[in-house]
Amino acid sequence: MSSDPHSFLAIDLGAATTSVSLIGRTRTHWRLVGSLSFPSQVSLEAIIDVLLERAREVDIELARELGFDAPNATRVLPRLISRSAPPAELAIVAVTERSLGAMQAIAERTGWRFRTNSLETSEPIPLTEALLDRSVSTVLVGADEPPGADERYRVGELAAIVAAAGLRRPELTIVLAGSMAEHQPRFERNGAGDGGELILGPSVSAGDPPGTALRVLLERLRAPNGDSRTAFIQATLGLAEALDRRVEAIDVGLDGSARASAAPGLGGAAGSVTWGMSAAAGLAPADPDEAIVDGVLGWSTVSIDRHRMRDRLRELRLSPWAEASGDGGPLRLAAARAALRRLIDVTPEVDAQPAADLLVVSGGAWAVAPGPAIALAVADVIRRPGVCQIAFDHARLMGPLGTIEEPAERRQMLRELADDLLVPLGSVVMPEGMRAGRSGGRLIVHGAHGSTELDLVPGGLELVDLPPGESAVAEFQFRNTVRLGARGKHFAIDVAGGLGGLLVDLRDVPLRLPDRADRRQELLAAWQEALWAGSEA
Amino acid sequence: MTRGPAVAPRQGHGQLAPGLDLVPRRALVERGLEAWLPLSPGDRAIVAGGETIFAGETIADRLREARLLETNDAPALKPGQRWTRVRISATGEAAPLSEGELLFESDGRLRIATGEHQEPLESPVAGVVREVRPGIGIRIAAEGAALPGAFALGGTARGRLDIAAGPDGELLPRSFDVGSAGAILVVGARIDAESLTRARAMGVRGIVVATLSSKERRDFLASEARQRAALHRLPPLAVLVLHGILRRPIAGPVNDLLRSLSGQEVAIVGDPPRLVFDPAGVDLPNELPGRIHVRGGPMAGRSGEWEGLAGVRRFAGGVNLEAGFVRFGDDPPVALPLADLERYD
Repeated sequence: MSSDPHSFLAIDLGAATTSVSLIGRTRTHWRLVGSLSFPSQVSLEAIIDVLLERAREVDIELARELGFDAPNATRVLPRLISRSAPPAELAIVAVTERSLGAMQAIAERTGWRFRTNSLETSEPIPLTEALLDRSVSTVLVGADEPPGADERYRVGELAAIVAAAGLRRPELTIVLAGSMAEHQPRFERNGAGDGGELILGPSVSAGDPPGTALRVLLERLRAPNGDSRTAFIQATLGLAEALDRRVEAIDVGLDGSARASAAPGLGGAAGSVTWGMSAAAGLAPADPDEAIVDGVLGWSTVSIDRHRMRDRLRELRLSPWAEASGDGGPLRLAAARAALRRLIDVTPEVDAQPAADLLVVSGGAWAVAPGPAIALAVADVIRRPGVCQIAFDHARLMGPLGTIEEPAERRQMLRELADDLLVPLGSVVMPEGMRAGRSGGRLIVHGAHGSTELDLVPGGLELVDLPPGESAVAEFQFRNTVRLGARGKHFAIDVAGGLGGLLVDLRDVPLRLPDRADRRQELLAAWQEALWAGSEA
Repeated sequence: MTRGPAVAPRQGHGQLAPGLDLVPRRALVERGLEAWLPLSPGDRAIVAGGETIFAGETIADRLREARLLETNDAPALKPGQRWTRVRISATGEAAPLSEGELLFESDGRLRIATGEHQEPLESPVAGVVREVRPGIGIRIAAEGAALPGAFALGGTARGRLDIAAGPDGELLPRSFDVGSAGAILVVGARIDAESLTRARAMGVRGIVVATLSSKERRDFLASEARQRAALHRLPPLAVLVLHGILRRPIAGPVNDLLRSLSGQEVAIVGDPPRLVFDPAGVDLPNELPGRIHVRGGPMAGRSGEWEGLAGVRRFAGGVNLEAGFVRFGDDPPVALPLADLERYD
C-alpha cells in the first residue's frame, strides 16, 4: 500500500471465490464502502470495475472524497491481497504404521493434503511410485529418536528409497524427522536442487506441546510466504486484541479450513492464539470417501441417496458456485456442517481453550446461506455450553487484513473496521444438563422495546427477535441446575442482537439426532426452515 | 429463476456488453498443449527430449507387472537408470528378468524394478518430446489444437471421431457393435459403466461424453483394473468427460465443434484432459460475444443472448445470487444466476 491512501482494495483470492472489498477513510476512520464476491474464474479487474461503478452510482461525492471517482481508479487503487496457497501434496513415509500415525496426527492439522506409506504395508515399488507422483511436492520421512525396536533394521532401507526418489526429482523437498536425520549424507544432491530442499526436521515429540516444532515447520513449508489461512489466523489474533475479547474464528473454504482461538494479552502484553488448519475439512474434498459422504448425508435436509450425494459433492468441487439455487443452498450448508465437524475433530487444542465471547464465521462455504441459517449451522456443530455471540465475515476481509505485517497497524485497522466486517448473526445461549420434561423453566428477555417471556422446552430451539445493534438482558429461570458458563438455576445474561436474533438452544450437548435418515432430515429441516425463509421451496 | 423486464436493450454484436465479463468464460479451443504421459518405475522410455514423434509412434515400453530384483551386479548406476545383465543358462537360454530400472541401493545391494511382460506405449499425438523422466513420465508438446474437458479416465487413445448420439442423448449397451471398433465415439449427455464395458469389448478406443456420474466412474475404473490384471487384456478405453458429474447436455459450441470433427482422426489425452485434433480444414465454431450457455439449474443446456446484469436476485430455495438477464429466442429476458451461465471464446 502506498502511504496515506484515502481508499484501497482488500482482495481475497480463494480457490473458488474472489472477493473484493473497497475500503475508504472517511474523516478519521476506515470504513467498508462495498464488497463483491464472484467465482474465481471471473477476471479480478472485471469485479473491481463493477464494484467501483456501483459505489460511484450510489454516492459520487463519496467517490470523489475517497479518490475512486476517476475512470482509472481500478488500476491505481492500492491493493491488499490474501491468496490461497496453491494445492500441493505431502507424502508421509515411515518404516512402521506406528511412526506414520504419529506424523500423520501432526500433519493433518497443518493444512496439507497428504498421502501415507509405510514399509510395513507397502512394497518399495509402489512406495517409489508414490514419491515420484508429480502432485507430491514435499516428503516427510521420519523415525523415532532413537529408532524404535520395530523400525531400527529398516530405517536405512527407507532412507535409501526416499533418497533415490529425491535424486530423480530434484524439485522435491525432503524433511528428515527424528533419527532419520542420521541418514542425511544419503540425501545430498549434488548441484542445485531445482527448488527442492533438504531439511533436518525435529522429531514428532519435539516442542511444547509435543509435535509443535514439526507442525510449525510443516505449516511454513505449505505456504512459505503465508497465505489467506495464515493471514486469517493473524487477523483472529488482531481482532481479539482490538476488541479486547476472546475470539474464536472458523474459515471453511473449498480446499481447506482453519480454526483459531485468540485471547487478548493482559496488562499490555501481546495476545495469544491457538489454531489448526485442515485440507480434509474443505467444503468439497477432491475425492470424497465414504466417511465424507456419510458426514454430509448426516446433516442433509434434502432426501438424497448416497450415489447422488457423492455426485453432488464432486460437482461442487468442479463448479463450487453453480446450481446454488433450489436444493443447492441447503446442500452446501450440509456440506459446510460436515466440513466444520471434520475441522473440529482435528483441532482439539482449540476446544481446550476457554469458550469464546465472539465466534467469527468466514469462508466461501457459507456464501449462499442467509445469516440466521449460518448461525444455526454453527450452533449445530460447535456444541459448547455457554453464551456466545456469532458474527459473519461477510466481505471476507479477515484474510486481506491479516496480511498487514505490522501488528499494531493490523490491530488498528481491525478495530476501525470491526463493525463493518462483522455482520452480527446473533447470540447463542446453550445450557447443558437440562432434564427432559414439558418445561425446563422460563426465559424473560428485557429489551429496549419491552419484555418477551417464553417457556424453556428441553430439546427445543427458541428464537427471540433481537435485531442487529440492539442488546437485551436475558433472564433465565431453570427448574433444575444447568451449566451455562457456571452451574446454577438463575442467570441474567447480556445478549446482543443479530440477523438471527437470540437463539436459545436447549438441544442436547453434544447434539443427538435420530438414526433414521427420514426423521433426521425432517428434524434438521424443521430447525433450518425457521431461520431460512424460502428454503423449503 | 425470476422474470426480467419485457423489453431490455439489445447489445450489438462485436462488443463486450456491460457485465458480460462477469460471466465465467471457457476456452473452446486451446493451442500449445503439453501432454503428460505418466510412466511407472521399470517402464522404459525409447524416445529422448527434443525428438519429433508422430501419432501412434511407440515411445515407451511399459511393464505389466513390475517386480523387485535384488543384485550387486551393477556398479555406478544412478536411480532411474537402466540396468541390463547378460546371463545365459547352461541350456543356452537367456535368463529372464535381465533388464530393469534401478530403484535404490541399500547396504551394497541394488533393487531393480523389472518384469517379464512389456507392452508398448504409443503416443496419441504428434509433436516434440519436451522431457523424459524415467519412472515418472514423458512430456510432449502436441501439434494441433485441443478441446478442454473436465476430467479423463483410462489413459490415452487415438481414433476416428464418430458422433453416436445427440448432445442430450444416451447410448444403451446394445448400441455398441464391432462397426465402431477403433473409433472415438461422442455419446451425448451421459453413459453408464455397462455401456463403457461393452464399448471396450467392441474395440471402441475412446468415449467423449458430457457427464459421468461417480458410480459409473467407480464401476468403470474397477472394470479397467480387472482388465489390466487379466492375462489377455483388451485394448484400454479412454473416456473424456467434457463438463462434469451431474447430467446435462453437451454445450452448444462444443457439440458444434465435435460435429465438425466427425470422421477426423483425434486423440484423447488424460493429463490435462483434452481432445486433440488437427484444426486444418476444420470449420471452428465462431461464438458471438453475447452468446450465453446455461450450464446449471432448470434451464441447463439452453443457449441465449446476454441482456445485461440483473443485480442480486432471490432464487428458488431462498438464495440471493448475482444474476444476469438472458434472452432465449423471442421470449422476454430471464434473470439467471451468473454462476449458472458460461460463455465460450
